[in-house]
Amino acid sequence: MIRRRTLLMGSAASAALLLACRRAFAEEAASYIIGTLFPMAGPNAEYGAIFTAGAQMALAHLAEDKMLRKPVELRAEDSQATPQGGATGMTKLANVDHAVYTLIGFTGVSKAAAPIGQRNKVVMVNGGGVGPDLSGLAPLFWNVIPLIDKEIAAIIPWLKAQGAKRVAVLYVDDPLGNAALKQISDALPANGGTLAGSFSIAPTAQQFGPIAAKIRESTPDAVYFASYGAQQAQIIKQLRDNGVSQQLVTYSAATIPSVRDLAEAEGLVFTAQLSDWTLQDPVTQRFVKDWREKYHSDPTTYHQNYYNAVRLFGLLAQGLEKAGKPVDGEALRAELLRVRKFALVGGEGTFDDNCNISIPIQINRMKGGKAERIG
Amino acid sequence: MTAYLLNLATLAAIFGILAVSLNVLVGYAGIFSTAHAVFFGLGAYAGAQVALLVTPDVALASLAATALAGAASLCLALPALRVRGEYFVAASLGLQMLATTVFTQAQSLTGGIGGLVGIPPPTLLGLDVSSPWAFFAVCLAALGACLIGIRLLMRGSFGRSLMALRDSESAARAFGKDVARLKTLAVAVGCALAGLAGALFAFQEAFVNVESFTLEQSILLLAMVIIGGVGTLAGPLVGAVLLLLLPAGLSFLPFIPPTDIGAVQQLIYGLAMTLLMIFRPAGLAGRPVGQR
Repeated sequence: MIRRRTLLMGSAASAALLLACRRAFAEEAASYIIGTLFPMAGPNAEYGAIFTAGAQMALAHLAEDKMLRKPVELRAEDSQATPQGGATGMTKLANVDHAVYTLIGFTGVSKAAAPIGQRNKVVMVNGGGVGPDLSGLAPLFWNVIPLIDKEIAAIIPWLKAQGAKRVAVLYVDDPLGNAALKQISDALPANGGTLAGSFSIAPTAQQFGPIAAKIRESTPDAVYFASYGAQQAQIIKQLRDNGVSQQLVTYSAATIPSVRDLAEAEGLVFTAQLSDWTLQDPVTQRFVKDWREKYHSDPTTYHQNYYNAVRLFGLLAQGLEKAGKPVDGEALRAELLRVRKFALVGGEGTFDDNCNISIPIQINRMKGGKAERIG
Repeated sequence: MTAYLLNLATLAAIFGILAVSLNVLVGYAGIFSTAHAVFFGLGAYAGAQVALLVTPDVALASLAATALAGAASLCLALPALRVRGEYFVAASLGLQMLATTVFTQAQSLTGGIGGLVGIPPPTLLGLDVSSPWAFFAVCLAALGACLIGIRLLMRGSFGRSLMALRDSESAARAFGKDVARLKTLAVAVGCALAGLAGALFAFQEAFVNVESFTLEQSILLLAMVIIGGVGTLAGPLVGAVLLLLLPAGLSFLPFIPPTDIGAVQQLIYGLAMTLLMIFRPAGLAGRPVGQR
């Protein structure tokens, strides 16, 4: 039987919840709400913190510039990196916080949240996931990060130029990993190379010793791995510990501190969108200067992407305000497709009909815990 | 706000079905399964495939899901017949790991990690039940039917035999109870109802992938039953509502900075669960062992 004290405590908690809701409603009308739907706890929390930091700097810049007539507020929801967390979080952001624009990451979360966001006319912007299945997920689902096909198209000619003819591919068995394997398998012969071997791993795998032995047996000139999250550092360390001394190559997911700070990651080559912090355009210069002042380190491409995502909202909403139009999901999409080209950190970003960004790709090498551009 | 509360209420109804179905195993039959998410997943995939390939009728999809999960329950019943206690926990853990791998690898059936997208809005006997209120009513009706069914079952000779089995298997056997049959039936009923919850979950989320049917989900379901109170009708329901609404309520706390929201919520959530177990060891709506 439920005790009276338990019921009283439950009632008190409900009352507190209602008060908090009322507060949320009161604030909503006076500002634009940008929601974030990132993993903020657990093994992927590192990504959530990185994504949020980029967005927060852009918010500060929007406020400094007084770009918009109303202030912009950030409301965070923990997606827990699960579809259920994504769906519940997006429902809250859309219906309780009345967010018009949300920042999102992770494929499962994106797929679960996309129909809810679309139904509620909330824009969802991905700046972290690069799986090809994130393209065209919904009309209001946009990508401010180039998807993996563009990154692989850039690395294959580089491998050829380095004389790496035999390439082994270690990939996570999911849409991202499978797309990477297919594209590399297709592109290698056209560039005079061959696939030395392909090795699939489960997204939750943590032991790579046996796979390292198989990779050694396949005698590749280079090893390309397509993974993400905490698993990347384990792959790099265990491949090196198990005698794989060949050049390791990967994509933009490697731009996280757990990889950057790993001694075994020295010399790792990875692609990412153009992140030339020496670019002289005012947007990039301001971002880099303020970032270094605040964090005493260089930003990563994820910081750049979510900064760009929030800056994009500022530019679009500014255009709509000037035109006297409402700032809602449909109007933001119409404005994006009307303008198409935007001055963002890292240069000009151009959006296609599926609202996917095109931005130049660069090749980096990890050196002393920092990414050094090599191509 | 209404849509959000309805979403939470619908999820609470679905997880309520899951928790009461697990309670048939844990609370009434004394079978501590850590693989309940497997049958939840089987139901979700079956429901999603029926909706995608045949018809979005929620009744037909639920029927298929219930049948598949009930049939697959033999995978759990077989080890339950041979081992019990901590040995069965280990066996069900193995089943959970096996199923997670199958869900990930059987891409033509489950979509792998990419999952099944575009599950159409549900209908019921030709009526559109896709609006949040209508689907909540469907889930609530399903939960009500499950509760009535379980109450009737547990008040009858089947339920009494199960509870005798839970309290002392050898004594029940000595009194002539068919232990194998009782255990198999209990597992089949519990798993079939988990399949029903899975089908409803697939329609509610319009997307399913393996990330919803992992060991963490099984542990969460077990926590719902234990925190609510095992062996009672209301207990698992109270546990499901509490464990779903607590994180939702914590997300309204205004003083948590965005970068710390996940960690703080997890700390409060974990602390609340620990305190509950210290001060209410039989669960919120549970009864001490001797009074069950």
